Amino acid sequence: MDDDTIVCRCEEVTVGEIRKAIRQGALDVTGVKRRTRAGMGLCQGRTCEKIVTQILVQELRKPIDKLEPATARPPVQPVTFGLLAEKSYD
Amino acid sequence: MTSAVDVIVIGGGIIGSAITYYLSQERVKVSLVERGDVASGTSSACDGNILAIDKMPGYDSQLTLKSQKLLDELVESVDYDLEYAQRGSVLVVEDEKQEPVARDWFTRQKEAGLPMRYLAGREVFEDEPLLARDVIGLVECASDASLNPMALVYGLVEASRSTGAMIRPFTEVTRILQDSTGAVCGVETTRGVMNANQVVLAAGVWTPALAVAVGVTVPIKPRKGHILVAEQSPRPARRKVQEFGYLLTKFGGAEGRRVEAEMDRHGIAMVFEPTEHGNFLIGSSREFVGFDRRCNHHVLELMARRALRFFPTIRDIHIIRSYAGLRPHTPDHLPIVSPVPAVPGLYIAAGHEGDGIGLAPITGKLVSEMIVGEPTSIATEPLKLDRFDK
Ligand SMILES: Cc1cc2nc3c(=O)[nH]c(=O)nc-3n(C[C@H](O)[C@H](O)[C@H](O)COP(=O)(O)OP(=O)(O)OC[C@H]3O[C@@H](n4cnc5c(N)ncnc54)[C@H](O)[C@@H]3O)c2cc1C
Repeated sequence: MDDDTIVCRCEEVTVGEIRKAIRQGALDVTGVKRRTRAGMGLCQGRTCEKIVTQILVQELRKPIDKLEPATARPPVQPVTFGLLAEKSYD
Repeated sequence: MTSAVDVIVIGGGIIGSAITYYLSQERVKVSLVERGDVASGTSSACDGNILAIDKMPGYDSQLTLKSQKLLDELVESVDYDLEYAQRGSVLVVEDEKQEPVARDWFTRQKEAGLPMRYLAGREVFEDEPLLARDVIGLVECASDASLNPMALVYGLVEASRSTGAMIRPFTEVTRILQDSTGAVCGVETTRGVMNANQVVLAAGVWTPALAVAVGVTVPIKPRKGHILVAEQSPRPARRKVQEFGYLLTKFGGAEGRRVEAEMDRHGIAMVFEPTEHGNFLIGSSREFVGFDRRCNHHVLELMARRALRFFPTIRDIHIIRSYAGLRPHTPDHLPIVSPVPAVPGLYIAAGHEGDGIGLAPITGKLVSEMIVGEPTSIATEPLKLDRFDK
C-alpha cells in the first residue's frame, strides 16, 4: 500500500501516518487511533478498522490473533443529545 | 534484564512523561516504565484544558500559571502537533443565587493577576449567542488554553527518547526494591529487574498500590469522570464553557445549584470544549465508584440533559463516542510532588485530580529540580506527602 493512500476517510488519515504511529510504538488499533485519529470520526472505525489491523499485521509481523482488540467506547450507533437526555427521565 | 540508570520513572501518563522529559533535558539517565502503551491510563480518557479560571486563588493558581509558562516553551520546543489553542474560557452564571459568588470569584482571580472579565445581561449573548436565554452572566479568563493530552504525552516521550531516555512500554512494575538500609535500589518488572538509586512513582490512581508495599500510605482515590464526544458540527460556542456550578462540584460547597439530587449524586456539571477537529466534548461527572473505567449509561444520559440546559441548540447533534477516566483525587485537591522521607531515593508525583494535564509541565520541572538538587521553581511545602500526617 502506498503511503499517501487514505485509510480513514472520516479523519483523512493516510497509510504513511499509520506506519509512523507504529514506528513510534503503537502495537494495536487503539494505539494507532490515539496517535493518528484513525477511527475517531463519525463511523467510529467501522470502515477503516480492518485496514488498520492489516497494516499492523504487516508492519509488526504479528499474527492477527496476537493483536489487542480495539476498546469499545459506546454508543455503538450515534445517538443525538436530545434522545439520550430523554432517557434520563425513565 | 538488568540495566542501570540514574532514575526510573513508573507510569507513562502525562505526569511520568513530563518528568522523564525534564530529567532528560538535564542529561540525567532516565528510564520510563509503563505497563501498557504510553498514554493509556487517565491521560487518554480526559479533556485537555489548561485552566487557571477554576483554581483556588493563591498557591493553586500560581502553580498553574507557572505551568502555563512552561507549556508555552514546550509548544515551541517539542516537535509534535499538540493542537494547542489559547482561546480563553468562560464560566456561566445561571441565576441570581450564583451571581454574588461568581462576582466574588471574578474579583479574587483578577486581584491574583489573571486577565479576567465579567459579562452581564446583553453582553453575554453578544459573546456566546447560542447559550440558553435565561443565563445571566459570564466570567472570562482570556489566558486559558487547551491541547490534545495524548499528543503531549507522545511529544514528550519522543523528545525524551531523542535525548537518550529509555522508554519501556508494556512493562509492569511489580515491586519497588530496597537495599538493606531501606533505600531504593531499583524495581522488579514483568521483564526483569532494573536498577537505579532513584525511583519516581507517577502511576496516577494506581500509585497507592505500589507505595503500600514499601510501607508508604498515599491518600489518592479514583474519582471517576465521563466525557461525551459530539460529531463534527457547527459549534454552540467558540471557546471552553463551564457552568459556574462546576466549581461547586469540584470543591464542594453549600451555595448549591438548582438541580435534582440525582445530578448532584453523580457530580454532574456541564463542561463544553471545542476541539481542533471541528467536534466538541461534553463533560462531566465526579464520583467515587472504584476503579471501573466502563461508562455508566445513566450518567451519560444525565450529562446530555445538563448540556441541553445550557446549549438547547445541540439537541439534534449526534454523540459518536463516550469514555470514562479516573482522576487521582487527594483530600486537599493539591497533587503530591514529594520525596518520601521514609524511603530514601523514592519520590511520588501523583494526585493531580482534574488538573494533571495543566499541571504536568510544572510537576515534571519540580521533580527534575528536586533530583538534580536545584532550587525549585515554586515552594513545594504544600505538595509534600507528610502534609497529610498533620
Ligand atoms: C473526564 C476527565 C476529564 C479531565 N479533564 C482534564 C482537563 O481538562 N485538564 C486537566 O488538566 N486535567 C484533566 N483531567 C485530569 C487528568 O486527566 C489527570 O490528572 C492526569 O491524566 C493524570 O495523569 P497521570 O500521569 O498522573 O496518570 P495516568 O495517565 O493514569 O498515568 C499513570 C500510568 O501509570 C501506569 N501504571 C500504573 N501502575 C503501573 C505499574 N505497576 N507499572 C507500570 N506502569 C503502571 C498506568 O498504566 C498509567 O498509564 C481529566 C480527567 C478526567 C477523568
